[in-house]
Amino acid sequence: MSDTGIGASVPRKEDRRFLAGRGNYVADIAAANEMALAFVRSPVAHGRIRSIRKPDGAENRVFTADDLDGVEPMRAPSKLPGYKPSDFPALAIGKVRFVGETVVACVGATRAEAEDLAQAVEVDYEELDPAVDMLEARRPGAPLVHDSWGDNIALATRTDGDMESVKARAAHSVTREFRMSRQAMVPMEGRAVLAEWNSRMDQLIVHTATQVPHLIRAGLAMFLGLEQRQVRVIAPDVGGGFGLKTYVQPEELVACWYAMKFGRPARWISDRREHLIADANCREHHYIVTAHADEEGRILGLEGEVTVDAGAYSIYPFTNCLEAAMAGGNLPGPYAIEAYGVKTWTVVTNKPPLVPYRGVARPGVAFAMEMLVDAVARTVGREPHEVRMINMVPASAMPYTNIARKTFDSGDHPGAVARAAQMIDIAAVRERQARDEPDGRLIGLGFGSYVEQAAHGTSVFASWGVQMVPGYEQAGAKLTPDGGLELRVGVQSHGQGMETTLAQVASEILGIDPENVSVIHGDTGLTPYSTGTYASRSIVMAGGAVSRACEVLVERMRTIGAHLLQCEPDQIRVAGGRVMGPGGDLPFSEIGRVWYINPEELPADVDTDGVEAVVGYRPEPDHGTFSYSTHAAVVAVDPDTGAVEVLDYVVVEDCGTMVNPMVVSGQVYGGAAQGIGTALFEESPFDESGQPLASTFADYHLPGAAEVPAFRLAHMVTPSPHTEHGIKGMGEGSTIPTPAVIGNAVNDALKRYGAEVNETPISPRRVLAAIAAAEGEAA
Amino acid sequence: MTEISLTINGEPVTASVEPRTSLADFVRDSQRLTGTHLGCEHGVCGACTLEIDGEPMRSCITYAVSCDGASITTIEGFDDDDVMEDLRQAFTENHGLQCGYCTPGMLVTARDIVRRLPDADEKRVRLELSGNLCRCTGYVGIVRAILAVLEKRRG
Repeated sequence: MSDTGIGASVPRKEDRRFLAGRGNYVADIAAANEMALAFVRSPVAHGRIRSIRKPDGAENRVFTADDLDGVEPMRAPSKLPGYKPSDFPALAIGKVRFVGETVVACVGATRAEAEDLAQAVEVDYEELDPAVDMLEARRPGAPLVHDSWGDNIALATRTDGDMESVKARAAHSVTREFRMSRQAMVPMEGRAVLAEWNSRMDQLIVHTATQVPHLIRAGLAMFLGLEQRQVRVIAPDVGGGFGLKTYVQPEELVACWYAMKFGRPARWISDRREHLIADANCREHHYIVTAHADEEGRILGLEGEVTVDAGAYSIYPFTNCLEAAMAGGNLPGPYAIEAYGVKTWTVVTNKPPLVPYRGVARPGVAFAMEMLVDAVARTVGREPHEVRMINMVPASAMPYTNIARKTFDSGDHPGAVARAAQMIDIAAVRERQARDEPDGRLIGLGFGSYVEQAAHGTSVFASWGVQMVPGYEQAGAKLTPDGGLELRVGVQSHGQGMETTLAQVASEILGIDPENVSVIHGDTGLTPYSTGTYASRSIVMAGGAVSRACEVLVERMRTIGAHLLQCEPDQIRVAGGRVMGPGGDLPFSEIGRVWYINPEELPADVDTDGVEAVVGYRPEPDHGTFSYSTHAAVVAVDPDTGAVEVLDYVVVEDCGTMVNPMVVSGQVYGGAAQGIGTALFEESPFDESGQPLASTFADYHLPGAAEVPAFRLAHMVTPSPHTEHGIKGMGEGSTIPTPAVIGNAVNDALKRYGAEVNETPISPRRVLAAIAAAEGEAA
Repeated sequence: MTEISLTINGEPVTASVEPRTSLADFVRDSQRLTGTHLGCEHGVCGACTLEIDGEPMRSCITYAVSCDGASITTIEGFDDDDVMEDLRQAFTENHGLQCGYCTPGMLVTARDIVRRLPDADEKRVRLELSGNLCRCTGYVGIVRAILAVLEKRRG
């Protein structure tokens, strides 16, 4: 390991500008003559638009769907059989389907002026009965979100397992119901777009806060009726994404349309209320799960019914059925189960669309599965970590293809449980638990484990039926005339530190100092095509591609270097930022000088592609990497108030080779804190009329520094056998088990009452309700 | 429109502002000091925190007109400040930032903690950070960075 290559905790290059207050986010960019957009949004969850009255004299500043000539509604179909597509219009056409839906667009010289105008627009609605709760919306006779569908089910799937044979051998059948509530993702920077038409380039230039610039380009071109060459999408600094910034937004389309129609730049910067009520939400899963287990707690068979509340519309490009598809494929988790059957329903309701949030379906899956494992443990009277270990795929069985046909590449899952159990010190916790706390609180211990498929490849995405299937990831590597390096990647770094970690990968191959490497990303005009940053894929895919591209540069520099050093190419070594031969060595700047400035010194047989290469990469097999982890927590629950405090939290994780352990740890901490939010605080509730009840940070509670524990973390390292450098994807992982870990710890604390919580967030009200329900049953 | 005169990062500024314009919008849009970030515009997330007359304040819920005669320091104005220099170094060493959006407000609050509470322990630091939300780091690196600067300054 070099000081700056793979495995080094190199401080991040991007930090300097952020610490100085010189980051450059969309809202920081000013365009001459720009206009600001504000939207009139639906105040009702479900209704028909009877009439819209624009303020007098404002016809050129106030726009409805009728004005948006050439703008198509967004359609995100799935190839899965039986799927019902839904058109998501940039401005509502005829009907509104959730509170916050864009109905009228207003422009002004400032956002304040645009909002003044929006206040003066009058819209008359005929209110319709809304479909609010997904289980009610699933039933026949529910109000229809899309009139032509006949029901509210976008997609239903069913996989049958051979359950009869395992039931015959099972001593216990344990059934539980779980619900993970609807949430918002809340990156600290909201969504933002600045669109302008550039006549010289014949191109719409769109600065937008996105994780997936090339996909946004494809979507904008399709829905605006442009050729893709006519759209350039630039994601500058992006203040967090977490999945929110992966879809084409109605407001984005309107800003682009205005810029094209009126020849003036248009900006829309969302405010926090717009994020909380009108952006795509996330999570909202319901589960009924049954484990058929033997006397030891070994789970022989697993049955599940999964319902996902997908909101009103399918979002482009990932659709609204990805969540349910992933839930169905991931419920068995890291366990070796003989029989598995699952039914899933993707249900539409009069709520904002659903977009996958960090962890994609798996936090809900783990909340159901991991809490079911603990229910099994309580049923058979064993420690939950022991029940996990006997059910997990052992290291000796790797590689292992599980009941859901996922092939785990490597790793020691029971070993991670054992290490977490040791770190949390079970004996000490049980001893403390047996004593009564002086303050009357109850101590609980919880575990949660998962396996995280990441960097899913072509075959996996093709099986999900989505439009945009990732293929070979490309990276460009270019030696500059003075011996520096430019890397070009189509992914986008918005907190993951890729300006540093991709430079480290280059440093590993070339020995170049990351300080002399520029990572150019997030711009369709400057980078090779990529489906972007999601699914914990970027360091696996772009990292692998950078590695391969740098290897090509090594070969090219060898030929030139051998000529200059008067030796054979196979005598040349490239290391430490220098080209070294038996009799002397040269800095990269000499290679750059000869290629660019003094080509008369090049050898006759030089590769004419020079010192720049774009190289494609895909791991084989392409089914993705499988990181895994076990978390454990100790909580104190106040049975009088229902308050939960996290006293201790440990994480043992294995994501293969770590490019930058500091960055890996940071991803783990951040994901786990978001998981604490899901577990204890965050919820986007709606009343029975479909009105959102959390529209500010006073109603929508995010975890702060005082609510998040000081996580303790240990790494295990099992390199992937299939990827460059053995890297596995890991950015999302630690959000996955956290709600279950806290839920299991709370239920462990409440076991003296026989009470169980089964819904996030585990608020004081829900804890007290669980205790009251158990006491009611006992009485 | 109301005319105000104030000092921003040591420079005198006179401007006409609408009474409804927030200090955050004023420094960002009129003064082009875009290091002050807007995360909620209702005074909870702390991304817009800057200094008014030496005290950390939320610029999103402060009207520009109320700052007539005040001295404002934004994140761009701390380049010669030794506490801020230590904090910036500690934030990068401890991975106290990821996307960078909360960072300017977090640094202004952190500087206030370091100056006001030289003996603060981890629990106190976490409590003092209640007014600044970070969505990326889980606060681990931020808390470590502030504790490292406190420790260094205690010598």
